[in-house]
Amino acid sequence: MKCEQIREKSADYLAGELDEKSLSEVRVHLAHCPACREELESLSAIWTKLGVLPKEQPSGSLRIRFYEMLEAYKKGTEKDRDKISLGQTLSYWFGRLMPRRPAYQIALSLILIAAGLGGGFLLSVRSRSAARTEVTGLRGEVDDMRRIVAVSLLKQASPSERLMGVSWSARIDRPGDEIIQTLLETLNRDPNVNVRLAAVDALYLFYDHPEVKAGLIHSLAGQTSPLVQLSLINLLVEIRERRAVEALERLIQDEKLNPKVKKRAELGLTQLS
Amino acid sequence: MKTIIRLAGIMILLWAAGLADNAQESQADHAVVSFSNPAKPGTVEVDISEGSITVRGYEGKDVVIDARWRERVLTKEEQEQEAALAEGGEELDQEELARKKAQAEKAKGMKTIEVESMGLTIEEEENVIQVNAEEGKRAVDLVIQVPFSTSLRLSCRDDERGVTVDRVDGEIEVETSDGPIVLTNVSGPVVADSSDGEIKAVFGKVVPGKPMSFSTMEGDVDITLPFDVKASLKMKTDEGKIFTDFDVQLKPSQQKKEEDERKEGGGYRVSFEKVTLGLINGGGVEIQITTYEGNVYIRKAK
Repeated sequence: MKCEQIREKSADYLAGELDEKSLSEVRVHLAHCPACREELESLSAIWTKLGVLPKEQPSGSLRIRFYEMLEAYKKGTEKDRDKISLGQTLSYWFGRLMPRRPAYQIALSLILIAAGLGGGFLLSVRSRSAARTEVTGLRGEVDDMRRIVAVSLLKQASPSERLMGVSWSARIDRPGDEIIQTLLETLNRDPNVNVRLAAVDALYLFYDHPEVKAGLIHSLAGQTSPLVQLSLINLLVEIRERRAVEALERLIQDEKLNPKVKKRAELGLTQLS
Repeated sequence: MKTIIRLAGIMILLWAAGLADNAQESQADHAVVSFSNPAKPGTVEVDISEGSITVRGYEGKDVVIDARWRERVLTKEEQEQEAALAEGGEELDQEELARKKAQAEKAKGMKTIEVESMGLTIEEEENVIQVNAEEGKRAVDLVIQVPFSTSLRLSCRDDERGVTVDRVDGEIEVETSDGPIVLTNVSGPVVADSSDGEIKAVFGKVVPGKPMSFSTMEGDVDITLPFDVKASLKMKTDEGKIFTDFDVQLKPSQQKKEEDERKEGGGYRVSFEKVTLGLINGGGVEIQITTYEGNVYIRKAK
């Protein structure tokens, strides 16, 4: 079998849904094809990781909301039915109420059109805002999912997986305190320079969050890697964080400071003042 | 299962004594360590303060470690002391001078034998093999052979020779201060950082899905990727330049900040972060590259 065919079957292989013949074919192929083996390994790693995620259970309120909606819909259709029978009697009355003179007829129809347009507009505004809350709700759920994935990835031993955790958290629209705290902790404690650099970038996206600015300024004193120091200084200057002045002045005092970082910090001071 | 092999002391001492006439030659240690579960890919962790690390993938199941100890190099402080002594020792305090002179008198007519403990420790636990060299001992050049699928975590400080890896498919985490990082025929996710050294990585293929990252303060980052790689590059450099022979599709940076204070009588300002985003073959594996002074080279494998 060719690699392409094997890869088509890899999902079935992992799920244990292959028949004897294909199973042995796949095994034979895997035995001497490291590329496919690896592909399969990474696939199975993703599967296990997905398995680790908690199963999404619909909340109790969802059930209630669903039945409420169903009920409302039923009522709506019943009303429509009533309207038809009502309509017939109404049309008789309307007929009698209709003014005889064409000028009044036109005036009345204009008023009715205006009322219809106004009503329609009001209705559309309302339904639009309802749709908007629904979208916000969905976005919130996606955010929750991303939050869970990000936090669990940030705790992995592999730096590549922690990098993945940082990029997941950067995709969250509205990060809660938990994500901000986890990112700040990654910035301050992660043993790998690359992961810390990625954390600086992710925090840049959330600098509106009240804790971020203070956290970034605080972090400057504790960093040992010149690259992380530089990227923090760049960021603080970029967002014109004037409260960083004091931290930069203290950093410059440090005798062990890398001369290039010192130069950048001094430049940063003039840019901020 | 925990295996501890201490490669120190007596054997070396005897060997050194036997070869006392030839004391200039450096000494070698050799060890073969197996993983507790050879069926699963293992991890090798190496942490040395002075020396170099070379790792090669091979077709065996065990990890083969060869350590070659360099002749002891005097520290800067010791060199200054020696120089001061040679000049009559005026700069040394009297007590220290007297002691050194007495020692020199005792050793008259004899030659030196290196008898230092080697201090290399190798441990295996839960499929992770750790190799550590004691701090403050002599510099060591390690050559380690590992099964192809092994993951590596290598850390090497204070040396010009750095870290070399060839034909290893596992995940690689490398860290050096001064020395270069040279990786060839690798495929796994690589996360590499060097303060002053160059980082060079040649990928035979790229495992999809897992992000990579390279960072160096003063060195260049030079990466060779397969022609059909799908990658999303995120590159940041303060003073360096970026070169490539790939057809890179540049994306505008999303890290844009807008500040509008005009209503409060202030100004309006848009700032962009100094980051270059580029897609190769439509995008894929995330590759982050950070340098300060160094250039970035993204090469297409021929």
